[in-house]
Amino acid sequence: MSLEGPPGPDRPDDGPDGPADPNGTTSSSRGQACGYTSYDDGEAPDEYPKTGDGASGVEARVWAELYEVEDPEMPVSVVDLGLIYDVEVVDGHALVEMTLTYSGCPARDMLQGDIHDAALRADGVEAAEVDLRYSPAWNVSMVSEDGKDALREFGLSV
Amino acid sequence: MTENHATSESTTRDEQALEALLYRLADDEFVLAERYTEWQIYAPTLESDLALSNVAQDEYGHARLWYDLLQDAFDYTEADVLWEREPADFRHSTLCELPFADDGWGDVIVRSYLYDTAERLRLEALIDSSNPTVRDRVEKVLGEEDYHREHAISWLERLAETDEGNERLQAAVDRLFPDALSLFDSGPHEEDIVATGLRTETLDDLRTAWFDTVIPTLEGHGLTVPDPDDVDRPDARGRDGSHTDDWFDMHETFTATYHELDFDQPTRLRGEEA
Repeated sequence: MSLEGPPGPDRPDDGPDGPADPNGTTSSSRGQACGYTSYDDGEAPDEYPKTGDGASGVEARVWAELYEVEDPEMPVSVVDLGLIYDVEVVDGHALVEMTLTYSGCPARDMLQGDIHDAALRADGVEAAEVDLRYSPAWNVSMVSEDGKDALREFGLSV
Repeated sequence: MTENHATSESTTRDEQALEALLYRLADDEFVLAERYTEWQIYAPTLESDLALSNVAQDEYGHARLWYDLLQDAFDYTEADVLWEREPADFRHSTLCELPFADDGWGDVIVRSYLYDTAERLRLEALIDSSNPTVRDRVEKVLGEEDYHREHAISWLERLAETDEGNERLQAAVDRLFPDALSLFDSGPHEEDIVATGLRTETLDDLRTAWFDTVIPTLEGHGLTVPDPDDVDRPDARGRDGSHTDDWFDMHETFTATYHELDFDQPTRLRGEEA
């Protein structure tokens, strides 16, 4: 997400440049959220969002570090945003699989770098790799309840 | 022929087909996005300026997603697939590379409509691709494409309401339709792309589906669409590496900064490698 990107391709009740949003994004989110991210409702696939619940040992420590990584422009962690799809640590090598809210996300490199460094900070991790995944496609229902609270506190309607 | 030899030949065939498919996808998106950015600060209204910028941003994102896959699958670098690639190796349709007509907002709208309709059809033909890494990306991209067609169609309707707008649209259709046909021209390894199930529709079928959508829609807005069989096709087709001179100029422009800066490695924003 990037708060300071240009206004979204479409927010409700625009003219020809912005056909009404068929899925009813509420107007209170206009101008405050990432301009590229669709906040339309969707259904979270089974097992998503991944929260690290049930992880143990070094993998739990990686999840804990990932909770400390915030979206570059909103006070919500990348885990609560639902961006982390998997964490696996084998012999000190951490593999974090993540997605983006929007495939052209301008903050991609920053997010990947922050997540990579966070994984390295976990005790027991010697090397880290961050892979992007696009399936299942992220939607706002993959934000955790804590994440939704944080976004509401921030002023978004989710 | 030994069994190993046969396996390796078949692997090569699969890989070449995948590479060819990905370059078609990535190059179209990248080059069209690059053209769209020329409209920044020039579009008819602030809103349309921002809207088209967003469409461009989307297409850059999709190009990157396909170029990423080329890098993952073939151990290429970003420079290999983009910045240091020979312009004659690009496989985009010539529709994407044509400069906009002077005063050509109608050109933008018609081009976007023709392209994005084709884009939807070809992405739908990848939903059941035999390649899982292709398949996994399609839903995300398709979901981000709806807006492009909504944008183009709403402007089509708006422009078609006046005589002047209609003239502009008609001029754009006349100009662009011959090059738009190159969207469906075959390039390298086309037979294998279908035979290996990378794409589940042939280009002929996609073109037929595209005709069935775009021709009635344009005609419904009072426009005349050339009979595809009577179209005088330009020599440059894009898909086979033949391009217009404008493409080579454009390539020189968008790689100029890369060469000036003389990168030997990608810039990193943060992290221990900075």
